[in-house]
Amino acid sequence: MIMPIVTEQLRKHFGALRAVDGIDLTVHPGEIYGLLGPNGSGKTTLIRLLVGLLRPTAGLAVVLGHAMPNKATLSQVGYMTQAGALYDDLTVRENISFFAAMCGGADRARVDEVIALVDLQERAGSLVRTLSGGMKQRTSLACALAHRPRLLLLDEPTVGIDPQLRAVFWSYFRRLADDGVTLVISSHVMDEAERCDRLGLLRQGRLLAEGSVSELRAQAGTATLEEAFLRFAEGGNR
Amino acid sequence: MNTQRIFALARRVMRQILRDVRTVALLVFAPMFVLAIGAVLFRAEPARLALGIINEDAGVSLPMAGEMALGARIVNTLAEGNVFELVPLDQNEIDERLRDGAVEGVLILPADLSAAFQRERQVTLDLRLEGSNPSRSTLITARVTEAAMKTFAGLAASGALPGAGSAELPVRINATHLFAGETFDTLDFVAPVYIAFLALFFVFLLTCVSFLRERSQGTFERLMATPVNRIEIVLGYMAGLGLFALLQVAVILLFTVWVIQINYLGSLALLFVIVALLAMVGVNLGILASAFARTEFQVVQFIPLLIIPQALLGDVFWAIEDMPAHLQVVARFMPITYANRALRDVMLKGWGLAEIWPNLAVLAGIAALLLVLGALTMRREV
Repeated sequence: MIMPIVTEQLRKHFGALRAVDGIDLTVHPGEIYGLLGPNGSGKTTLIRLLVGLLRPTAGLAVVLGHAMPNKATLSQVGYMTQAGALYDDLTVRENISFFAAMCGGADRARVDEVIALVDLQERAGSLVRTLSGGMKQRTSLACALAHRPRLLLLDEPTVGIDPQLRAVFWSYFRRLADDGVTLVISSHVMDEAERCDRLGLLRQGRLLAEGSVSELRAQAGTATLEEAFLRFAEGGNR
Repeated sequence: MNTQRIFALARRVMRQILRDVRTVALLVFAPMFVLAIGAVLFRAEPARLALGIINEDAGVSLPMAGEMALGARIVNTLAEGNVFELVPLDQNEIDERLRDGAVEGVLILPADLSAAFQRERQVTLDLRLEGSNPSRSTLITARVTEAAMKTFAGLAASGALPGAGSAELPVRINATHLFAGETFDTLDFVAPVYIAFLALFFVFLLTCVSFLRERSQGTFERLMATPVNRIEIVLGYMAGLGLFALLQVAVILLFTVWVIQINYLGSLALLFVIVALLAMVGVNLGILASAFARTEFQVVQFIPLLIIPQALLGDVFWAIEDMPAHLQVVARFMPITYANRALRDVMLKGWGLAEIWPNLAVLAGIAALLLVLGALTMRREV
């Protein structure tokens, strides 16, 4: 079985800044893998390397069996950024259809399906400009889903949305994982991380530890994930 | 009103501008750049006008002064100034030499010129002009008239022919045009370049702004995270914006032809093809320029660098032949130069595809080159 994501000593330097500093990680099929770390720990750079928006300074990022950047692989990858990244002057449906078309296309039924998945049936014909922040975020997720990707790379997808919608988002994620989609989700919120199947703890461009929440707690010998993170961080400093 | 707040605002604005090094550089250099081009052009002496001469004047014998050949005298006066380069021609090659550009006008001095002047103290000279550039036509007519008047004044002063310059209008110029003609007014002559410039400018702006918006709203990054490649993006933009560019070209052309009612020869369809090609150049130039801009503001800064020089150097207001050699080289890289030539050839000379295709080929070549450059310079890493 090939792993959806394998990186080997992956590095990305911006001048003197080592944004990603030699990361080895493995993501298993059908799991929700959380990238947990404070702001500036390299989460976004790592995801951009995985999606091929950045070229590694050194090392390897193998996504769905292909070294990135690789354009062809992207037809099976869904990507969502922190900012909306939608066309304000197009409708919800038009945005979804457009991004799906870029990735090989989706028929009308599929577009309806993802619109239903994110509960936007009533606003499908509305211009994105007229939507609330949460609705834009849901549209953005739908755009990443319409072409039935096998792998979803989501960069802080729940940042800036209310707790209620956040819970809804996590129910979407779980449903997708149950359907066999692999998800990589970055976050700096601990309670969110607890919902992931496995976690990679990131700090200063390095992977401090990797494993399920209980594994990480056991490894660090702490009661909470937060304490575990701090324990690993101390270890990294020593 | 709080001066402290105003001061703080002013300081913030200054700080922001200073942080954008390119804007500061442009504030300093762009005016110098545009002024320098303009200065060189305004100062440039026009190249000498090539004037064909057919001198068949037989001359006359004057009772007191002996032989007098008015034709030869006029030719001498014309040769004196630094204005004309005289080319002796035969009757039967007038239009041919005008067509191939060897001369811009032909002055015909008939066999009975001296005799007629002796008899009537007044002559009418035939001047055949190329006619597609009104300022050149006017210049040639004025200089020829001036030379003839000077000749007659000289005759009167020397006493060879008393009263030689006394008639109210000793010289009349009967100017005929190979191309265009008298029904054409100045607007008809400037219309081709006017059309070309508008098409290029608006399409360039439209492209830059829509492409920049893609970057600023973050959708470009998302687009780059899909299998679509850069040449596909450029072609997609070209097709999408091209449609509106063509619509605009149609509006410009039909408005000038039907509402402003300019005179033109040649086919309207061919005009459409020329301007459409130029509009495609505008789209591709816009895509290329947006790769080097982060904001809409920086795109606007490209106008003095990319668009104004085309207005100055692209055969719009100044004829390329009159420019200093180094500027002529630059002018040959301006796409608008080729569009203007083709448009003039069609609108003023009535030429067809067979004659103008080289200009169209250059335009298409420039459009293709810009397309490739646009795709190559498009940054993956935003």
